[in-house]
Amino acid sequence: MEKLSKLPKLYLAVVFVILYAPIFYLIFYSFNSGGGMSNFESFTLEHYAAVFEDTRLLVILINTIVVALLSALISTAIGVLGAIAILFMRNKAMRNAVLSLNNILIVSPDVIIGASFLILFTMIGVKLGFASVLISHIAFSIPIVVIMVLPKLQEMSPTLVDAALDLGASKRDVLTRVIIPFIKPGILAGFFLALTYSLDDFAVTFFVTGNGFSTLSVEIYSMARAGITLTINALSGLIFLVTVVLVIGYYAISRKTKSPLAGVRK
Amino acid sequence: MKEIVRGAIVIMIVSAILLLINAKLNEGGGSAGKNSITVYNWGEYIDPDLLKQFTQETGIKVVYETFDSNEGMMGKVEQGGTAYDISMPSEYMIEMMAEKDLLLPIDYSKVPNAKNIDPYFLDLPFDPKNKYSLPYFWGTLGIAFNPTLLDGQTFESWDNLWDPTLAQQVVLVDSARESIGMGLNSLGYSLNSTNLAELREATDKLKTLSPNVKAVIGDEVTQLMVNGEAAIALTWSGQAADMMYENEDVDYIVPEEGSNLWFDNMVIPRTATNIEGAHAFINFMLDAEVAAQNADYVGYSTPNQAALDFMDPEVTADERFYPDEETRDHLEVYKNLGLEMLGVYNELFLEFKMDMK
Repeated sequence: MEKLSKLPKLYLAVVFVILYAPIFYLIFYSFNSGGGMSNFESFTLEHYAAVFEDTRLLVILINTIVVALLSALISTAIGVLGAIAILFMRNKAMRNAVLSLNNILIVSPDVIIGASFLILFTMIGVKLGFASVLISHIAFSIPIVVIMVLPKLQEMSPTLVDAALDLGASKRDVLTRVIIPFIKPGILAGFFLALTYSLDDFAVTFFVTGNGFSTLSVEIYSMARAGITLTINALSGLIFLVTVVLVIGYYAISRKTKSPLAGVRK
Repeated sequence: MKEIVRGAIVIMIVSAILLLINAKLNEGGGSAGKNSITVYNWGEYIDPDLLKQFTQETGIKVVYETFDSNEGMMGKVEQGGTAYDISMPSEYMIEMMAEKDLLLPIDYSKVPNAKNIDPYFLDLPFDPKNKYSLPYFWGTLGIAFNPTLLDGQTFESWDNLWDPTLAQQVVLVDSARESIGMGLNSLGYSLNSTNLAELREATDKLKTLSPNVKAVIGDEVTQLMVNGEAAIALTWSGQAADMMYENEDVDYIVPEEGSNLWFDNMVIPRTATNIEGAHAFINFMLDAEVAAQNADYVGYSTPNQAALDFMDPEVTADERFYPDEETRDHLEVYKNLGLEMLGVYNELFLEFKMDMK
């Protein structure tokens, strides 16, 4: 890459400062022994201790992570298969219709999705709680995964599949040895996007939590009504840390996949 | 492919371990315990130690959930996906929930501690004879201000806000009934006025406040006041208490012409499955010592007369949060004015907001 001249560098720096300043401000004050965010008194870890002492908060934190992991995993599996199905659809009108339906789900407001899930679940008698939250998170993540995987699939030359078939590969082999390895970066991206969507979703989740099962976004919203306490800062700091670990993990994995094993790549 | 499968297995194992930890932390809580109640309350609105104490005393486990708006809460109760045994709506919401037949009447034979409540807070228009609800916390609407940012202004009446020296200093709350209500109060009219001439007069008076209005916003006002970015705010006593807790300079008054009296109340939604447990919970929360401890923790005013003896006298003597008889006489609880009248309020408030600038 060509070296950046000074001005664009400066611009980039300013943008990053603006993006990250609020987060660091928040995390900085999570170490404040004083009550509020107005002046910094001295360093303390008591707010972090408060998070770990509050078992209810801890249970909610774990709930949030479990739901995010499982919903991302399941929606990735379904989304990848869906994207492959869309690619191989013969009927063009049908394919476009399915794609549009998929996109509509991405742009439609979360509140509406949440409210309709609530009505659906109570109508068919699903008890609100872990299952209802998981199902709805899977549902809103699938279209995202499809959108992430589809371009990768379209990028793949159809001759690749034909060649594999000519060489005597079974349909199963084509899927597991040709298509999936080729679209792996898309799958990873879809998985991580679904993960973050699930982690921060409030609008849908609010409607479908119940029976003592709650997630962080819902909890923090109701806590914030009484003013932001430093416990929320500490909690946000922890989540930021988890996110950083996730991103680093993502890069580690995606770098690895770029190396030799992808023999089918150009 | 192998790696993807391996990754998926790792995720499943991690999830399983986390779920196990969760089950351990919950210790048979959740919906597992047979004798449990589900409480649906505002966030940060109870001392968590009291929930443990309740379980110790009665053997009833508490599943605790929180909400952040009356409307959201009612939506979930109405749909009935969760069997909430206790909820804490505000006064106007109780009226709406009662109309929709979403509440169970309280059996007073099971709530002997109801006698602890100051009669001043009972039998109010939103729930006559307290058929469905018992007060949990209460407060007023008033003026929060930061004297260090102002040169010597004092506030006793609503009219002080109109002082020409306060240009661009006042933060109003983005809510029709509160803001129009302030106009009505300053003219000496009832907060529940349905007289169009009075409402028009109040709106016109409010419009003359425009030069002093810095912003019309929601809950963010707390942070502005704490940081000293705003000097004066129309706000509820509970919110004012939060501001004062974080910034000692902030003060709060209830104007002498009168103001709004608000309530959050304990009710038993129709979805309740453990009605016995719900009554036990209400009775527990109304116990003098428990209510005192809870008020200490939450920082709002308790309607529990017996509890005042167990509290810091400095707090209970604070007339900003426990106003005297005379101020109380001027306080008014919102009545449900019906959708149509609410529309008129909203329209007038919108007119005021559009007239600004």
